[in-house]
This record gives sequence, structure tokens and C-alpha cells, in this order.
Amino acid sequence: MSSQSHGEHSSHPTLKQYVIIAIILFAITIVEFFIIWPYNRIGAASTPVLIILSCIKFAIVIFYYMHLKFDRRLLTWIFLAGLALGLVVSMALMTLFSSVYATPAPRPYAAANAVPYVHGEEGHEVASEAGHQEPVHASAEATHSEAESIGSAGESASSGEVDLGMEVFAGIGACGACHTVEGVAAGVVGPDLTYIGSEAASRKPGMSAEDYLIESIKDPEAFVAEGVERAMPGLMTAAVTSHLTDEQVDGLVAFLLEQK
Amino acid sequence: MAHAETAQHTEEEYTSTGINHRKLLMWVFLSSDCLFFGSLIATYMVYRGQSLVGPYPIDIIDIPITTISTFVLLCSSFSMVRALAATIANNQKGIQIWLLITALLGAIFIGFQVYEFNLFRSEGLYIYTNLFGTTFFTLTGFHGAHVTLGIVWLLGLFFVARKGRLGPKTVLDVEIAGLYWHFVDIVWIVIFTLLYLIGGFDAGPTAVIGPAPSMVPLV
Repeated sequence: MSSQSHGEHSSHPTLKQYVIIAIILFAITIVEFFIIWPYNRIGAASTPVLIILSCIKFAIVIFYYMHLKFDRRLLTWIFLAGLALGLVVSMALMTLFSSVYATPAPRPYAAANAVPYVHGEEGHEVASEAGHQEPVHASAEATHSEAESIGSAGESASSGEVDLGMEVFAGIGACGACHTVEGVAAGVVGPDLTYIGSEAASRKPGMSAEDYLIESIKDPEAFVAEGVERAMPGLMTAAVTSHLTDEQVDGLVAFLLEQK
Repeated sequence: MAHAETAQHTEEEYTSTGINHRKLLMWVFLSSDCLFFGSLIATYMVYRGQSLVGPYPIDIIDIPITTISTFVLLCSSFSMVRALAATIANNQKGIQIWLLITALLGAIFIGFQVYEFNLFRSEGLYIYTNLFGTTFFTLTGFHGAHVTLGIVWLLGLFFVARKGRLGPKTVLDVEIAGLYWHFVDIVWIVIFTLLYLIGGFDAGPTAVIGPAPSMVPLV
């Protein structure tokens, strides 16, 4: 082989080695796929495991396919220097913008202004006709009070309450997982609450809107609104909301009353 | 042939590092390309989950399809090393076949990307729609441009090979193209992991950004 004449730094792996490497790369990719698809099988460990697996693939390709292992050491250093610099720059950027240490909680402003995406005709319409003007439009009615409350946080007790309620709704309360409030959350399992503020007062005879909402949150099974079919066994029970403090429930009520 | 045997194509050529200048240049370029893609990937990660308008990744990212295109690219890396092996062994037919297969697999990968981009557009995701669209198309688009350049390069080599000008004395021509091609492959390994396997389940800002859900979503 002429490659021999180039000395040790130009020798290449044999065909058999190449095939084995290809099989390893394939196998790792298959493992990666089935870790995550159709559902995450290893929970929170998936992110570090997937990153480690891809690093292994990365190393195999550069050391064998790009034969750094068999080449001059200088080339390895040149490449690793660039790679390290790239990593440092990336990590610095992510740290500066705190996407590495970011808490996985939804940000109130982003949550308040988010536009849910709907598959199919509707979603297409929204995207193609209204384009990027959509968020302004959608948030105008649903979140005018939140926008105010964020702007003038703490000015009045009620705007602070609404603010808190929205955070609970979209965050730890997880209400948004099932319920929709346009511009805040897009759950489809439970009833749509976009206009609950104007409907709550007339839901249950002889009960004020506020009392009705408190009852519906703390004891959801006490009264079922017209047209709502409960699942068997019921999904919305007192157990779902039992972890909320009275303050948080008051916030939720204030927030929901604003949804008109 | 006499021309080919002059300094340009012999690895015994004297350089202060002992490494052929063209090969060194390619490695320095790839090293700098790490910074290029590193910045684009970091930008994607910084704006991950910050989009205020859908579609969000979970709405449109198709992991099975992209896994197939990832396999295609991995296959092309294998055919590339076969092309290099054929060049070293002076197997003229092998050089041509493996170079062509590599270029073809690259073209299939690009085909998948064109299909994906069109699908995303039909779902309403344009480069200006949201932060996800902007960072996603910029990153994967630049990767696609790298692959496309690689295909042109490989086809160029294929036509040189058809004239019988590739062989043990011009191993470096194939080797350098191979280095570029494998690099494009490893960039995709990173993109596939971060944007698809890890980030493919990101929903809008009301949802928690993190690992993929451990249950099949009901809706």
C-alpha cells in the first residue's frame, strides 16, 4: 500500500474497522432515538445521557473517520483548540443569557403574550394571514390587565393579585395544562376559561362570581356547569388544587374574573 | 502526471510542521468552523423556549423522519471512507462509485431538509415568524449550505476520477474533501441531538422547558 510509504501518521483503519465503527455509530443513534421516542424513557436523565452519547459519536468520527488518531498530534491540537474555543464561547453566551441555569418556570410576560399554536386550517390561517401581528391582537383582549399589572406591579393590591393568579394558572397550578385562557394557555382537556369572568356570576343560582370560582377551584365536584361532561373517574377534583395556598387561590380568582 | 508528482501531491514534501499545507489548512478551517457553528447553536439555545407565537418545536418537529435523514448522513460518512480506501488502493471503479454514492446520500439528506423546510412553511413557520423559526432556519440552513458545498466538491472529484486522475498519488485530494464531509456529519450529530432529540419537545412559553415528557402526550 502506498499509504505505508507515508509513514505512521498517514495510516488508515482497515475496512473491517470502518464497518465496526459504522455499526457503532448506527447503534448509538438507534439507542438515542428510542430513549426519546415515542416517549422519554429515562426522565430527567435523558438530556445528559443524549449529550454524552452524541459526544461519543463526535469523538468516534473525528478520531477514526477523520483519522486524527492515526495522524500527527498537531492536527488534533489544532482542531481541539477551535472546538474548545467554540464551546467556551457558546457556554459564555448561554450563561450570560442564563439559558443554562434558567429555572424551568414560565416567564410571566412571555406566558401572558404567548399565542398557542393550533394544527391544521386554523393554525395555518393564523400564521399566514395575521403573521407576526397575531400576538399583539390576541394579547390585546386577554391580557390588557396583565400587561398593566406587570407595568405597575405593586401599585394596587388587585393588579398584583391578578399577576399572581396568572403565574399560578400558567405555572405551579398547572391549570393551563387542561384549560385554555386565550393568550396564556391552551389546554383542551377541560372547559375553556377565556370568558369565565363574564360567565361566572350566572353559573350557579344565588352565588356570586367570586364565590362560585372559589368553590370551583377548591371543590370542583360540588357543581358542574351546564354543558360540561365530566370524565370517569373525574380528573378535576379537590386533590388537584389542594396544594394551592389561600393567597394563590385568591390570585387565581382575581385573574379569572378578568377573563371577559 | 509529471505535474502531479511535483510538490503539490506528494506528502514527502518538506514543511516545517511535517504536515502538508493543504491538509493543515483544512484542519485550521474546520477548527474555525467549530466557532461558527458553536455561535449559531448557542444562539438557538439562548432563545430556546422564548418564542411568543407558534408553531413551537413540539408542534412541527418530526423526530422519526429526521432520524432517517441522520442515518443517511452517517451512511455517507461510511461511503466517504470507502472512497478514500479505494483511492489508496488505486481501485478506479471503487473511487468513482463511492464518491458518487457519497454525493448521492448527501443529496438525499438535502432532499429531507427541503421536505422539512417546506413542511414547516406550510405549518406557518417562516424565518421571521418567531425566535424558534429564526434560530432554527439560520442554524440548519447554514448546515445545509455546508452539505450542498460538499456535494458540489464530491461531484467535482467524481468527474476528476472519471478521467482517471485520482489515485495513490492524489490521495490528499480525496482525504481533504473527506475531512470536510465528516465535519459536516459531526455538526449534524450535535444539531440532531440538541435541536431534535432534546429540544424537539419544547412547547410555548407557558410550558416548562426541559427534558421530553415521559408520557405520550394526550393531545
